Amino acid sequence: MKPLRRILFNLMAWALVLAVAFPLFWMVVTSLKPAFELFRRPPTIWPETVTFEHYWRLLSETPFLQYFQNSLILATTTTAVVVAIGTLGAYSLVRFRYHGRESLAFMVLFTYLLPSVVLIIPLYLLMVQLGLSNTIFSLVIAYTTFALPYALWLLRSFMTGVPEDLESAALVDGATRIGAFFDVILPQLLPGIISTALFTFILSWNEYLYALVLVNADSARPLTTGVMTMLISAFNIEWSLLMAASVMMSLPLIIAFAFLQSYLTRGFGAGAVKG
Amino acid sequence: MLVFCAVIVYPLISAIYLSLFSIYTPTLEGEWVGFSNYRELLGKGEFWSSLWTNIIWTVGTLTLQIVFGVGMALVLHQNMIFRSLARSLILFPYFVSTVVAVLVWRWLFNDLYGILNHLVVLSGFSDMPIDWLGSMPNALLSVILVGAWKYFPFVVIATLARLQTIPEHLYEAAKIDGAGPVARFFDVTLPQLRDVLVVIIMLRAIWDFKEFDLIFLLTGGGPVTSTQTLPLLVYKEAFALNRMGMASAYAVVMMAIMLVFMILYIRRTREAADP
Repeated sequence: MKPLRRILFNLMAWALVLAVAFPLFWMVVTSLKPAFELFRRPPTIWPETVTFEHYWRLLSETPFLQYFQNSLILATTTTAVVVAIGTLGAYSLVRFRYHGRESLAFMVLFTYLLPSVVLIIPLYLLMVQLGLSNTIFSLVIAYTTFALPYALWLLRSFMTGVPEDLESAALVDGATRIGAFFDVILPQLLPGIISTALFTFILSWNEYLYALVLVNADSARPLTTGVMTMLISAFNIEWSLLMAASVMMSLPLIIAFAFLQSYLTRGFGAGAVKG
Repeated sequence: MLVFCAVIVYPLISAIYLSLFSIYTPTLEGEWVGFSNYRELLGKGEFWSSLWTNIIWTVGTLTLQIVFGVGMALVLHQNMIFRSLARSLILFPYFVSTVVAVLVWRWLFNDLYGILNHLVVLSGFSDMPIDWLGSMPNALLSVILVGAWKYFPFVVIATLARLQTIPEHLYEAAKIDGAGPVARFFDVTLPQLRDVLVVIIMLRAIWDFKEFDLIFLLTGGGPVTSTQTLPLLVYKEAFALNRMGMASAYAVVMMAIMLVFMILYIRRTREAADP
C-alpha cells in the first residue's frame, strides 16, 4: 500500500475499533467522575476531577463485596467440577469404543444448544423439592447443566488432537491406563484444559437467568443479580456507582484478557463458544 | 455420563410432562389438564406476537452481526498498527457480562444525561432527545443494536481464523486476471468463507433466538409487550403470572421451533466430522 493510503486505512480502522470500544471507555470514565460533573452539559469526555469515591462507597456501603465473594466461590467451584467431570467424560468419548458413542457425542452438542428457559422450570421445581433453593450450591448444580455439555464438546475436540500413539507407547512401557492418563494425556491436554476452564469460569461469572430464579437472598446472590438489585432498589439511580460496580465486575475478565488471551482465542477455534 | 443424564435429560423430560398440568407457582400444586395448555397457547394473540417479535429480533440482530463481523474481520486481517490491541478491544464486548453491557447501554441511552442523546441534539438530527427504550419502534431497534454490539465479536473471531487460512496464491491469480479489490472479495474471499459463515449463521441464529438476559434487562419486554420474545414470555408465565404448566407449554413449543435449526446444525457438524 502507498503511505498515504496506509495512514488513511489505519485512521479509519482505528476509528471503527474505538467506536466499538466506546461504551466500555465511557463506563470507566463515568465511574471516575464526581456527581456534579456527571450531569454537566455538554458532558466532559475526560473527567476534570478524578475521584475514587464511588469505588469506596461501593465497597463500604453496599453488599457488593458479599456478592463478589459469592460469585468467586460459585464460578470457581463450577469450573472445578465441570473441568474434572468434563476431562474424564471427553477421554471416554474419544478413547473408548462403545455402542452409541457417536450418538452420545451429538447428544452433548444438542443439549448445549438447548435454551435455558426450557430447563429452568424443572430445575427450579427440583431445587425447591430438595430444599436447596437460595443456596450457592443450587447454582453450582444449575451451572453445571449448561457448562458441562459445552466443556465436553470443547475438551473432546482438544482430546482428538492428542496422538493416540503416545498413550500406546506408555502402555507398552508398562504404565497402567490411569498412570498413562495422568502422565501422558494430561500434560498434552493442559492448554485445552486451561481454555475450557477459562470459558467455564466466564460463563458462570456472567450467568443471570438461573441466579435470578434460584436465589433470592443476599447471602447467596452472585454479582449479576446483585448489581441489578442495587439498580432496582435504589431510590434514584446512581450511575457512577453502577459504572464502578460494572468495572469491578469486569476485573477478572480484564485480567484474563491481559494474561491468557491466546487461550481464549484457542477455545474459539476448537469448538465455537456459547453465547 | 450418569451425572450428565441426570442434569440434562431429567429436566427435559419433566418440562414436557409439566406442560400437561396446570400448576400454581408459589404452592407448586397442580392438576392434570391434558393438552388444554397447548390449545390455549395457539389460540392466543400473545404467543403469535411474541413469536413475530422473536423472529424480527433474531433476523435483525443476526444480519447486523454478520455484516459488521465480516467487515471488521476484513479490516483486522489487514496490516494495521497495534493490531493485537485492536483485536482485544473488539473481543471485549463478547466476554463482558450481559449485566454490565446493559447497564452501560442504559446509561448511554439515558434520556436526560445520556451521551447518545447529547450527540443526537448536537448533530442537529433531532431537536428533542430520543426516547431510546420507552417507545416503539425505537425500543426494538435499540435492543437489536445492542445485541449486535454484544455478539458480533464472535463472528469476527470465527471469520478471522478462516481468513488466515485462505491461500495467498488465489489472490495473486485473481490479480493477474485483472480483478479489483471488490471483485477479489466476491470471487475469492466470499466463496472461501462460505462454509464457515453457514456454521456461524446457524449457531448465532440458535443463540439469538433463545436470548433472554439482554432483552429482559434492557427493556423487560416493554413498552407493554412490544419487545417481548418467547423466552421472556416463558419467564413471565412461570414467575410473574405463576402459571408453571402454561410456561412449560410455551417452552416446549419454543423448543420445537428451535429443533429445526438444531437438527440442521448437528447434521452439518456430523457431516464435517466424518466425511
